[in-house]
Amino acid sequence: MWRYITLEIGKTFPFVTGSFGAAICSLRSAHLTDAVVRRTKRMMLDTLGVGLLGTRTQVFNKLLQYSQRYSAQENSRVWGRPGVMLPPQYAAFVNGVAVHSMDFDDTWHPATHPSGAVLPALLALADTLPVRPTGEELLLAFSVGIEVQGRIMRFSKEALDIPKRFHPPAVVGVMGSAAATAKLLGLSPAQCAAALAVAASSAGAPMANAATQTKPLHAGNAARRGLEASQLASLGLEGNKEILDLESGFGIFYGDYSPKELADVSPSGHYSWVLEDQDVAVKRFPAHLGMHWVAEAASAVRRKLLDSNSYLSQVSRITVKVPPSKYVNCPFPGTEHQARHSFQFNCCTALLDGHVSIDSFSSGQMNRSTLKDLLSKVHVEHPQDNHASFDRMYGEVIVETAQGGKYGARCDTFYGHWRKPLSHEDLVKKFQSNASNVLTPEGIEGIVHTIDRLDATEDCTILGSYLQMNKHQTRPLDFSLSELD
Amino acid sequence: MLSKAQKTFRPLTLMTVRALHKSALDVVERPAPEETVTSSFGRFIQGVQPYHLTPTVLRRSKRMVLDSLGVSLVGSNTEVFELALQHCQHMYARDDVSSVYGREGTRLSPTLAAFVNGVAAHSMDFDDTWHPATHPSGAVLPALLAISDMMPGNGKPSGLELLVAFNVGIEVQGRLMRFSSEARNIPKRFHPPTVVGTMGSAAASARLLSLDRTQCSHALAIAASLSGAPMANAATQSKPFHIGNAARLGLEAALLASRGLEASPLVLDAVPGVAGFSAFYEDYAPRSLVSPDEEVPRFLLEEQDMGFKRFPAHLGMHWVADAAAKVHETLVGLTGGTVPPHLVQDILLRVPPSKYINRPFPESEHQARHSFQFNACTALLDGEVTVQSFSDAALSRPDLHALLSRVRVEHPADNRANFDCMYAEVEVTLMTGDVLKGRCDTFYGHWRNPLSDDSLRKKFRNNASTVLSPAKVEGLIAVVEDLERLEDCKPLLNQIQ
Repeated sequence: MWRYITLEIGKTFPFVTGSFGAAICSLRSAHLTDAVVRRTKRMMLDTLGVGLLGTRTQVFNKLLQYSQRYSAQENSRVWGRPGVMLPPQYAAFVNGVAVHSMDFDDTWHPATHPSGAVLPALLALADTLPVRPTGEELLLAFSVGIEVQGRIMRFSKEALDIPKRFHPPAVVGVMGSAAATAKLLGLSPAQCAAALAVAASSAGAPMANAATQTKPLHAGNAARRGLEASQLASLGLEGNKEILDLESGFGIFYGDYSPKELADVSPSGHYSWVLEDQDVAVKRFPAHLGMHWVAEAASAVRRKLLDSNSYLSQVSRITVKVPPSKYVNCPFPGTEHQARHSFQFNCCTALLDGHVSIDSFSSGQMNRSTLKDLLSKVHVEHPQDNHASFDRMYGEVIVETAQGGKYGARCDTFYGHWRKPLSHEDLVKKFQSNASNVLTPEGIEGIVHTIDRLDATEDCTILGSYLQMNKHQTRPLDFSLSELD
Repeated sequence: MLSKAQKTFRPLTLMTVRALHKSALDVVERPAPEETVTSSFGRFIQGVQPYHLTPTVLRRSKRMVLDSLGVSLVGSNTEVFELALQHCQHMYARDDVSSVYGREGTRLSPTLAAFVNGVAAHSMDFDDTWHPATHPSGAVLPALLAISDMMPGNGKPSGLELLVAFNVGIEVQGRLMRFSSEARNIPKRFHPPTVVGTMGSAAASARLLSLDRTQCSHALAIAASLSGAPMANAATQSKPFHIGNAARLGLEAALLASRGLEASPLVLDAVPGVAGFSAFYEDYAPRSLVSPDEEVPRFLLEEQDMGFKRFPAHLGMHWVADAAAKVHETLVGLTGGTVPPHLVQDILLRVPPSKYINRPFPESEHQARHSFQFNACTALLDGEVTVQSFSDAALSRPDLHALLSRVRVEHPADNRANFDCMYAEVEVTLMTGDVLKGRCDTFYGHWRNPLSDDSLRKKFRNNASTVLSPAKVEGLIAVVEDLERLEDCKPLLNQIQ
């Protein structure tokens, strides 16, 4: 193969793409700060918990059934299913689907669900590597996958607002998965860049499929295809070496696009992680993030109502003040997916019950006549100052009664938002509550314990073993308890 | 009213039923599915009948099938195909279901076979091109063949069923592209095969799998979440994967829909504030398809024929090559045989503006297939561009380099980046001061000047004989010629490797 212009003249054209490839390759665990390690561990724990809970959903089961037609020589474990293995890409796929199946996973700013695209891919890959990665390597690769997503979302102003066109996990998630898996595979800078280029051709899915049963596939496919991109890059596949630099490259997903190079990563120096400046939000119930503001406001209104000896049956009108966002404005949701994306539904549920929970989306709860009654009284308003951005929005609920009473409350920052993060205790409780639907106490505690000391864990695939300790099905343990210490 | 509700809304909650009795708000929010664009597509896919295929459509689609097979077979010799095949064989266990083009005895699971065969189809940029621009067949045929292999021995589709499904896949692509004016021009953002190709594959697969109309709609919606790849990866080694993935993922969408996976019922409709398929376009105005029960559908292929390539490069190259070939004719007339570069002072190309095919010094075969300059100079030197023009040896010819360094490109205002109305002019100024001109408005192979059946068969024979025995080559020609009369498509399936 001849070259008309040699490319090896030091710094060459693909500045941004090249800098990403170099950074992915050069970042070391020494670059991980305490804050980043702490936050990524929280994200991993939360992701595993929601993923385990998600293995009980219909969509997970459909995708598992579908994926089981494929087999491979090297297989990876499916969470929550002892003995069930799939080719690594399909394990990444179904586990990613599980994570996003109930819209219970983490959310970042600019908006995306970063972990569900990355962790399933990494664990699936880890299961197939001849030398099992350490916990520290897993932490580093995961952090790289999150970092890349954070950086590329900052290439456009459009990304700052609640999305209307492309569902962000399908755009940036696949890139994060490619970066993370390329890191774990130890690819060269050029191959890391190639993985990003190949992944870009797998990016993008429309918002219309959010609030449907297909939405979880966005995370699942991001995980799967990012992993595939790395595998193909390791076989030598190339894409456009300027994929992040070009408007006709990654820029196609945005109306405004200004990519920026990453600074050189010096082996001994400091690295500024996006996660350090900007934490993620962890959800307390399985619904779109916007619902959390409205639920908190509605709960507060309910307390005021009851404190003044009024009754919900006296409610004549409910006004919900929220930012304009069509896909979460659903007056009468018909499916659980729609309910998780409905300001109205979550407001009324919180008014009725004082909170929204996993159970609120069961058909029994969705069908309550008291709920339907309240729903018919809801009016949605979009105040000028309520911006469709997870960093700036608020939720306000005003309830009027037939007796002339008027009760209102406003929530600017819900508990779990990055401005008001869940305490460690509450985060672990969420995990335990989720995981206990599927795992034995040993499995639950094994994961909590392992994540807690992940940086000192010799073999991160022990997580996979715990993830398969299903309380409803038994299988022989394949490791000894003494390996825990 | 109630039964209509239960038919149109799968969710069984009473709340939904009651919602239908609410007033205008709901009707506006959620029109009855019979009236949505999305459901009309589902209805079309399921409802088209074999007798709706006119002789013109049959003839044209069979030509497409033959050409697609041929370019895929020659494509099975490429490095990128080998890479894709190796990847599938390493990552997945043997699953002896669906045949891989050109590799006797090699079979993969259906979606993976669709994948590698799709890669083969587009590996050399030799496959068909339509207007509005996309490469329709490579995204559809591999998925259909993979499904056919999947079906039991005594339940294989007939040739006619295959042709119907194929035409469904092509038609859906054509209809979707007419939803935006942006699609009419050479693309800048999303590579069209990854946008409409995936949808076409989903539609065709849904048809061949006999899904009901609701499942067909969901297949399209699921496929929408698997669509879209950037133009920047065109002219790279990844481009063939765009077609491979379109075939694979469309098939996957249909398979998932057959298992009951659901997605947006409004994916093709224009819903303000929530993008569905509209996400891929700046302007988007969808229209429903007529119901095949009420009106005989008119296939786009009837009005708008396909372009077939004569050599493996981007379609735009064909204009420039034909124009340059005319100059070559004149030149060799003057010099008595060869075209010595030192005689050439300047080469001016007048072509439409399109960044990704404007490459003064391509560095790989992929880039060379997407370079006005390269194809013009090759045709100037050799009188034509062929499969061999992109070999390593050909790419590094000193004579070619010399000419390349003398090329200038202009974009006349009247030369629009649109395959239906572009032209190419090549103006060569010799050292003697003579100026030789050549112009091409419609190259041979374009839909306005289609390849004769003879030429198409010749192209197929040249391509297929690189991997198949003469018996199979002729066998395939005969089978495709008679495809609509074939009771069982096994003879087709048996001869592609």
